[in-house]
Amino acid sequence: MIQMHAFYIFLIAAGLLIAAFLYVALSTRNAREINMQSAYGLRKLLFFVVLAVLVLGIGMTLGKTPYPKANELPGKVVFVVGKQFSFALSDTPITNDQDYEARTYGIPVQVPAGSLTEFRVMSFDVNHSFAVYSPDDHLLAQTQAMPGYVNRLRVRFDQPGRYYVLCLELCGMGHHRMRGVFDVN
Amino acid sequence: MTAAAADSGLWSEAELAKFRRMTLIWGITVLLLLPILALLGYFMRLYQSGAFSGMRAEWFYAVLTLHSLGMVGTWFVGSMAGVSYLLLKYTRPNLAVSKFVYVGTLLGVVLLIACTLGGLFGTGWYFLYPLPLFAQGVWAPWATFTFFAALTILGVCWTIWTLDLLRAVAQRYSLGAALGWNYLVGKPGPELPPLVLITTVSLIVSLSGFVAAVIVIALFAARALGVNVDPLLMKNLTFFFGHDLVNITMYLGIAMVYELLPSYAGRPWRTNRTVAIAWGAVLFLVMFAFFHHLYMDFAQPTWIQKLGQICSYLLAMPAGVVSIFGTLALVFAARMKWTLSSTFFFLGILGWGIGGIAAVIDSTVEVNFHFHNTLWVPAHFHTYYLMGVVLIILGFIDHAGKELSGLEEKPALSKLTTALLLIGGYGFLFMFYWGGVNSVPRRYAIYPQEVIQGTLYARIAVGFITLLLLGILLYLWETGRRCLKALA
Repeated sequence: MIQMHAFYIFLIAAGLLIAAFLYVALSTRNAREINMQSAYGLRKLLFFVVLAVLVLGIGMTLGKTPYPKANELPGKVVFVVGKQFSFALSDTPITNDQDYEARTYGIPVQVPAGSLTEFRVMSFDVNHSFAVYSPDDHLLAQTQAMPGYVNRLRVRFDQPGRYYVLCLELCGMGHHRMRGVFDVN
Repeated sequence: MTAAAADSGLWSEAELAKFRRMTLIWGITVLLLLPILALLGYFMRLYQSGAFSGMRAEWFYAVLTLHSLGMVGTWFVGSMAGVSYLLLKYTRPNLAVSKFVYVGTLLGVVLLIACTLGGLFGTGWYFLYPLPLFAQGVWAPWATFTFFAALTILGVCWTIWTLDLLRAVAQRYSLGAALGWNYLVGKPGPELPPLVLITTVSLIVSLSGFVAAVIVIALFAARALGVNVDPLLMKNLTFFFGHDLVNITMYLGIAMVYELLPSYAGRPWRTNRTVAIAWGAVLFLVMFAFFHHLYMDFAQPTWIQKLGQICSYLLAMPAGVVSIFGTLALVFAARMKWTLSSTFFFLGILGWGIGGIAAVIDSTVEVNFHFHNTLWVPAHFHTYYLMGVVLIILGFIDHAGKELSGLEEKPALSKLTTALLLIGGYGFLFMFYWGGVNSVPRRYAIYPQEVIQGTLYARIAVGFITLLLLGILLYLWETGRRCLKALA
């Protein structure tokens, strides 16, 4: 799970920083003059180490963005509309409030497992966030649902089951109640 | 500091006395707002823990809006007042402007309280277009109007304050000198205190943010008149403004540390080529780092998203390598005078660093895909706010209170205060981080079944916040007493 990996990286980096601050704080018990030239040398070394870590981080992650790739075609398209305070998901475009109402309370959309699914996400009113949660309640993927724009979110689901959609963008008093659902089989 | 200001020849004793009084008034106001706004945060975590099951969720979102805007505004004015006071040594900020801004800020705060607690206006601090216009019957048009009136008053006042401080800097330093360009090219020039350099960089960024805010408010007004407004443009402008405001508050806090920590360490901290390059880089990079707020807007061109990640990563360099390392080098084996103020400055830089690490991780597009708008976000910004710039500003108020009242601190009480703030603060933050790792959304009044673990995390957080509040109360008792004596 990527969240846990990020957490471990955070703990290690924050731990190193805390250790450095603790070491420096304790060093004041034994006050003495220090050679600033050697401190500057250490700073130069630190500069290159931090820069190398950051460049490595950029190199390892920048190519893994979740945005649609032109050379990849989805096997399934799901149309999504967010509106205060529910999501409507459909196999066909949702163009008006009647479509939205019908699909909000209709049978859940069926998505084939293993196939690349594209969610075409938009909003009929304010900004929402279309956040897909796995059957075991982990945040798998998300994109914003914005009025006037269609955001294309592509996900490949390997695990069959019922998936939930929550809104992660504050959209009003019913924000925490807003949801959608679809099945992967 | 006040002796140095008196020795500078820029001020008469009578003028300085008036400025000190104004600084104390700002400080006491911040100390009054702090517990109120902290209690609002306490209320929110209690609400999320299920303690107020009979209360409508609209209250949660209204309190969320007031808490977030109130905290951001309070620490912005706190840092501006602190920097104004410290600049007295080098230049002449205008006292009348400070007074005018104070009155305007109070008026803005009253209006914000009226529209949120009185009118249940609940859009969050960022009033993301077009949510204020889709009230669903919760808040009335007067609340929306009052909210924007408050923002306009605050924006105008703070812009004037920013311009006045820039004017004061410009009276003594040219733009190039204030940005340390002579250090960059290795030419002789006036010695530039880091306080002036960082303040100049921050104020330029601040002005650009306020311009964006003005455009946002104007476009809301245009929308009310029937003009079509692009939601993606509004989002970019909103986050440019919000990101700038939060960042410059931190930078102004760092400027205070550069100015004051040397007096506790007994060593100088001067501008040199590296420091000038670092803050020049900040001025450039911070303008583009805000794109990381829009990673989940897939309609935004991909190259902009990647630029956002690169700038966010690189922004860690001047902060991490120069300011944090500079703090460590300054304190290492120094004859350090550890007081509440110097401890808060030191710990504040640490908190800024820890929050920065979490922020850089979240600024990775691939990671943000799983963390965006989860509790990881309040986790990292509360870290560099609460355990970062807030500690620094509280350290400054304590420093000024002691300097102006002559009352010394009680070391045992200071240690207890620090321990409570650290345990309560980091415990409270850990529950946010853990919530983010476990996919718990932020800004939820009530956690639905899929993320019900958020309720338990909120309950544990409430315990830590109780310790944090005790620490804040102890601090207020001691520092507030000194500030009031100095004011009397």
